[in-house]
Amino acid sequence: MSKSGVPSQLRWLGALVTPACTQAWTLAQWQTVIRVSRRLRLLGRLAEALDRSGLLASVPEGPRRHLLAEQRYARWRTQQMLWGLERLPQMLGRVDYPLVLLKGAAYLGQDLGIGRGRLPSDIDILVPKAHIEDAQTRLLARGWQETDLDAHDQRYYREWSHELPPMRHALHGLELDLHHNILPPVARVHVDASLLLADLRPSLWPGWMVLAPVDQVLHSAAHLFHDSDVRDRVRDLVDIDGLLRHFGQERVFWDALVARARRLGLHQSLALAMHFCSTWLQSPIPRDILERSRVQGLSRPEAVWLIPLFDRVLRPTDPDATPGLRQTWAARTLLLRHHWGRMPVRLLLPHLLHKARARSAASA
Amino acid sequence: MTTDQRPRPAVEPVPGDVRSAMSGGGVWLDLGLLTVRVRSTVPELAAPLCSVYPGMVEIDPRDWADLHVELAEGAGPRRWLRRQSRFTCDGERPFEPFPADHALPLFEWGTNWVLARRMNDVLLLHAGVLERDGLALVMPALPGSGKSTLTAALSLRGWRLLSDEFGAFDPQTNQFRAVLKPVALKNRSIEVIRAFEPTAVLGPEFAKTRKGTVAHLAPSAAAVALRGVPASPGAVVFPRWQSGSATQWLPARPKVVFTTLAFNAFNYAAMGASGFQAVVRLTRRCPAWQLIYSDLDDALHTLERAWPEVRERALSESAP
Repeated sequence: MSKSGVPSQLRWLGALVTPACTQAWTLAQWQTVIRVSRRLRLLGRLAEALDRSGLLASVPEGPRRHLLAEQRYARWRTQQMLWGLERLPQMLGRVDYPLVLLKGAAYLGQDLGIGRGRLPSDIDILVPKAHIEDAQTRLLARGWQETDLDAHDQRYYREWSHELPPMRHALHGLELDLHHNILPPVARVHVDASLLLADLRPSLWPGWMVLAPVDQVLHSAAHLFHDSDVRDRVRDLVDIDGLLRHFGQERVFWDALVARARRLGLHQSLALAMHFCSTWLQSPIPRDILERSRVQGLSRPEAVWLIPLFDRVLRPTDPDATPGLRQTWAARTLLLRHHWGRMPVRLLLPHLLHKARARSAASA
Repeated sequence: MTTDQRPRPAVEPVPGDVRSAMSGGGVWLDLGLLTVRVRSTVPELAAPLCSVYPGMVEIDPRDWADLHVELAEGAGPRRWLRRQSRFTCDGERPFEPFPADHALPLFEWGTNWVLARRMNDVLLLHAGVLERDGLALVMPALPGSGKSTLTAALSLRGWRLLSDEFGAFDPQTNQFRAVLKPVALKNRSIEVIRAFEPTAVLGPEFAKTRKGTVAHLAPSAAAVALRGVPASPGAVVFPRWQSGSATQWLPARPKVVFTTLAFNAFNYAAMGASGFQAVVRLTRRCPAWQLIYSDLDDALHTLERAWPEVRERALSESAP
C-alpha cells in the first residue's frame, strides 16, 4: 500500500505494527520519535511493541534508555490500575447491576495488544444510570472521595454530564471516573445507553463486563471527535486502529460496525475515525466499508470542512515548533463546534459565562 | 586547601555566543547521566548559566539529547509590563511562569522536575552524592538536614561532586552516576558557604523565589572533567544541622537506612522490584551514620576520620 497519505511526522507509527522498521532509523530519527511519542503518550506502547519483537536490545543506547524507562513507568501505572480493578468489585459489594470496564481498563480486561504499554490516566467504568448513585454511595463508604467542586460544577456533572466528578482514594494511584453513558445526555447526538447495556460481553475478569466490540470502537471514536481539544490525541486513533485490527478479522464485525454507528447516532464520529485510521495508520478497513461509513456519516460539505480541520489539529507539530496560528485557529473552531454539539444554547451560554468568570477570578 | 584546578576546555563559549545559540538551535549540557538541550528566548539565562555550568555549555550540535527544554518569554501585553519566562519540555509545563530575571532558577527546578519523572532507567534517590577513592558518600535529603550546605562544603574540600539532588543508582552496574548540576544554596546557606570558602564560585542571588533567596555554587573543574565516571556505593550519612550542637557521629540502623533511601526516592515505586532490590543492596553494602553538627569544619573532619573505615569495608566487600 502506498504511504503517500501518511504525514511524515506520523510515519513512525508504523513501528507499532511492524517494529522491524525501526532498524533503519538514524539517531536523529529516533530523537524525534522519542519526543513526539512521549508527547502523544505512545512511548510506552512503542517500547512494548519493540520488546515483544525482541528488538529493544538493538535500539541505540540513548533512545533505548528512554524506552526502558517509560516501559517501566507504564507498567507501574498499569499495575496500579489492575490493583484498583481487582479491589473495586469487592468494595462495591454484591450488586445486581453490571459493572462495565471502559477504554484502557477494558483493553486490559480483554488482554488486547493495545493495552500493553498504554499509559493509563484514570480508571473509567460504567454502570446503569439508575444505579450510579448507589455505586457512588458504596464507594464513598469504602474510602473513595469526591473532588471538591463549586456548586456550578457539581450541577454541571449531575445534570449535563455522562460521568460523575472524578473520585480519589488515598491507597489508589489513579482517579476513578464513574460513567452512565459514553456521551453527555444533553448532547445533540444522544446515545441510548440501554442499547450499550443490552449487548455487554464478559471480560476475562470475574465481576467485570465490557462493551460489545463495535461499541468499543464507537466509544473511542465518539470520545475523540466530540472532545473539546483534540491536539496530541493521535493515541485515540491508535486505539481505534488496534481495535479494528483485532476485531476486524471477521467480516461480520464490519457490517455490524456501520449499522451500529447509525443506530447509536455516532455515524459521523465513525466516518472521521475510519478516514484518519485508514489514511494515517493504514488500518485494514474493507474498501466498501470505508465508502459506506463515509456516505453514511459525512455529507459532502461536512467532509470538506471537518476533515481538513481535524487534520490540522490532530497532526502533531514538530517538537521544536510552537503550534502555528492555523492550528490554533482550527483548534478554536473545533472547540466551538464541541460546545455547540454538547449542550443547548440555553445551557451553554450560562456555562461558558461561569467558566470565564471562574478563570478571571483565578488569574486575578 | 582549594579545589582541583585542572585546565578547562580550551574554547569555552562566551555568554554572547551562548545567548544567540540558545535562541536558535540550542546549547548542550552533558550532566553525566544525561544530556540536556537548552533553547531560550529569554536573554537573562545565558550569563548565569555559563557561570554556574563552567566548561559544560557546548554550542556544537549533538545528535542526541535526553531532555529538550525551552525557556520562552511570555506572550501578550504582559511582555511589555512585567517580562516572564516559561519552562517547557516536550509539551510539559510543570511550573507557572517566573519573572524573566529568574530564568536560571526556573531552568534548574524545571529540569529537575522533568528528569525525576523521566529517567526511570536508574533509581533516583533524593540525596547529595560525593565521591572519594572511587566510593560514593550518599547524603539523603531530609527536611532541615542541611544536606546542600554540607554537600557544597565537601565539594569545596576535594570531594568530587556527583550531584546535590539526585543519587542516580544504576541497578545494572551497581554504581552511582553523576547528575552534575550546580548546588542550589538557599537563604542562610549562601553566607555560610561564602564564609567557609571565599573563593567559591557562586552565581547571582535570586531573591523572593518560591524557596526564598537562592544562589548556585558552580561545580569544580575536576567534577566537570570526571562527570562521566561513576562511583561505587561507599557510605550513607544522614546529616542534621542543629544550632549550637557539638558534632555527633552515631551509627544508623539498617531499618532506618532502607526506609529513608526508599521513601525519599523520586521513582522508588515506579522502579518496581528492581528499585526494592537496589535499595536492599545499598542498605547491606553501605555502613551508615547520623551526623549531627553545627560547625561545618568539624563535621568535615569527622567525615574524613571515618572514611578509612568505609574504604576498608568496600575493599573487603569487593574481595573475592
